[in-house]
Amino acid sequence: GIHPSIRGEVWEFLLGCYDPKSTFEERDEIRQRRRAQYAEWKEECRQLFPLVGSGRFITAPVITDDGRPIQDPLVLLENNPENGVIVPPQDIGAASINNNAPKVTDKKVIQWMLTLHQIGLDVIRTDRTLVFYENKENLSKLWDILAVYARRDIDVGYGQGMSDLCSPMIILLNDEADSFWCFERLMRRLRGNFRCTDNTVGVEAQLNNLALITQVIDPKLHQHIEHIGGGDYLFAFRMLMVQFRREFSFCDSLYLWEMMWALEYDPNLFWLYEESEETSPEEAKARLKSIRHYGKYERENMRNGAKNAEEPPLPISIFLVASVLKEKSATLLQQARGLDDVVKILNDTNGNLDAKKACMAALKLHKKYLKKVAEHESNFATSSVLLLHCMCLSIFILNPNPVQPNLSR
Amino acid sequence: MSNLYGDYNQKIDYVFKVVLIGDSAVGKTQLLARFSRNQFNVDSKATIGVEFQTKTLIIDNKTVKAQIWDTAGQESGSMYDGSIWWGLGYRAVTSAYYRGAVGAMLVYDMTKRQSFDHMSRWLEELRGHADTNIVIMLIGNKCDLGTLRAVPTEDAQEFAQRENLFFMETSALESTNVETAFLTILTEIYRLISKKTLTANDEADPGGSSGLLKGTRIIVPNQDMNDKKGGCCG
Repeated sequence: GIHPSIRGEVWEFLLGCYDPKSTFEERDEIRQRRRAQYAEWKEECRQLFPLVGSGRFITAPVITDDGRPIQDPLVLLENNPENGVIVPPQDIGAASINNNAPKVTDKKVIQWMLTLHQIGLDVIRTDRTLVFYENKENLSKLWDILAVYARRDIDVGYGQGMSDLCSPMIILLNDEADSFWCFERLMRRLRGNFRCTDNTVGVEAQLNNLALITQVIDPKLHQHIEHIGGGDYLFAFRMLMVQFRREFSFCDSLYLWEMMWALEYDPNLFWLYEESEETSPEEAKARLKSIRHYGKYERENMRNGAKNAEEPPLPISIFLVASVLKEKSATLLQQARGLDDVVKILNDTNGNLDAKKACMAALKLHKKYLKKVAEHESNFATSSVLLLHCMCLSIFILNPNPVQPNLSR
Repeated sequence: MSNLYGDYNQKIDYVFKVVLIGDSAVGKTQLLARFSRNQFNVDSKATIGVEFQTKTLIIDNKTVKAQIWDTAGQESGSMYDGSIWWGLGYRAVTSAYYRGAVGAMLVYDMTKRQSFDHMSRWLEELRGHADTNIVIMLIGNKCDLGTLRAVPTEDAQEFAQRENLFFMETSALESTNVETAFLTILTEIYRLISKKTLTANDEADPGGSSGLLKGTRIIVPNQDMNDKKGGCCG
């Protein structure tokens, strides 16, 4: 794991906020620019809804579906976050639709305002056992960041689970704007899961991938899961949505996250995020890092990249779930007679899951999966190449290069 | 078979799937925790996706496994085109969620008027996806917060009557009516299902269901409102 004192800063690198080769001055300049950008966005939100940035937030709706403002929404008052939402009795029933106030007509603004109370309801339930959130300021920081994010990323807005993803950023990074950007980078990886269309939610694609992997790795188990009505793998929904935050303790999940990001690390992340499409291929090529700068998982993907370059690589989190399933395979086959049993059996694991072991198992499974797929695709002796890789990669170490940026001046 | 809650190897006669729906933070997960494990979690978190709990109980000498599904309550979200949809937090889970459900609990927070006003929308979604014979119960939770009440019992009763629902006010915190509510809905499901079986078998022992009816009569506060069941409960 990363030492807590530098964790926030390392996360910024792991998530691609900065180029690993950048100097302190370069990073500081970007940081200042981003802080100003965040302040600007936050101000825009405040103009739409004055509670943004006020240190207070709401847990009851402020607008109707058709854009009529609701008067006197139940506002969470400053004094008693730890006692839950204490609503002054005189406010009850006072919440009425204000017909005099101008109607909001911008659909996107309505949509944003409709999520604000949902964010509030989740913020007060996020990591509430941590002393950190006994401080009301931190709760409103969380609310502000999620509100600003929802306004900026209109396709995603706010979805339940995002508060779980954002909370650690606020704890690790002191500056609210820095936390926002770290969260924003994390969402670049995960926002697809939260995107909804008419009848699907993004994470479903990942659940389908999980089904495919299980089918390849453990066909018997897949068949059994399908047989008991779990073919959609919905029981893994939460693990993927909040990246195992509910399966691991707070500390363990942070450790797990940084391990996953290190394994998936791509040194070009910063540029990939930062740049528009205009960058010439030469420029991009000039920046290409040697393969040893990549995370171990990513390297494995690159080696296999030529074959299926048209599809984006599967995130390691799917292999993590798959390895948990695989580990519990015998029990699941024997005892799971319904989806409730599946959940129960998986929950039994959760308490005892070791982040490092889980990652190692995921890597192993990933390799096995690639191998099986390769075997399937051609019966050629690609396996000898893979065997070589197995030997090279048999020791589990996080590549130190990308996670040790130049922190000194 | 004399114990109330079955063990693992017990023969299960029936599995009843019951779904919990209602706005975010009305206490769905807490109701379930109270019923299945007699717990109340002060640090309860927002539900992500779908969670289940089961409890095995004996109804009319039959072993019934209640499989209760719990889900996130986020009411609205956005789509690619920026339009607003309404319904189960993550639409995709909707059909899987309602599939095979024989009972549904519509939960509102009696200190939050809007969560009650939304009941008709939840009901609409439920009726759009679930089996037509599904047994539905309206639950006004958090009745321990009596001084903050924003939904009069009569309003809820009237709504339940109009929509043909069972109704009960509960407190997951103080354990008020929680067991009763679940038992009511499960007993009613059992009654409907065994009646179906009876009809199918032409003649069978009516004593079983009449014994159940007694239970129904005691625990349902306004059983006569339900036309569908009027012949049996009235």
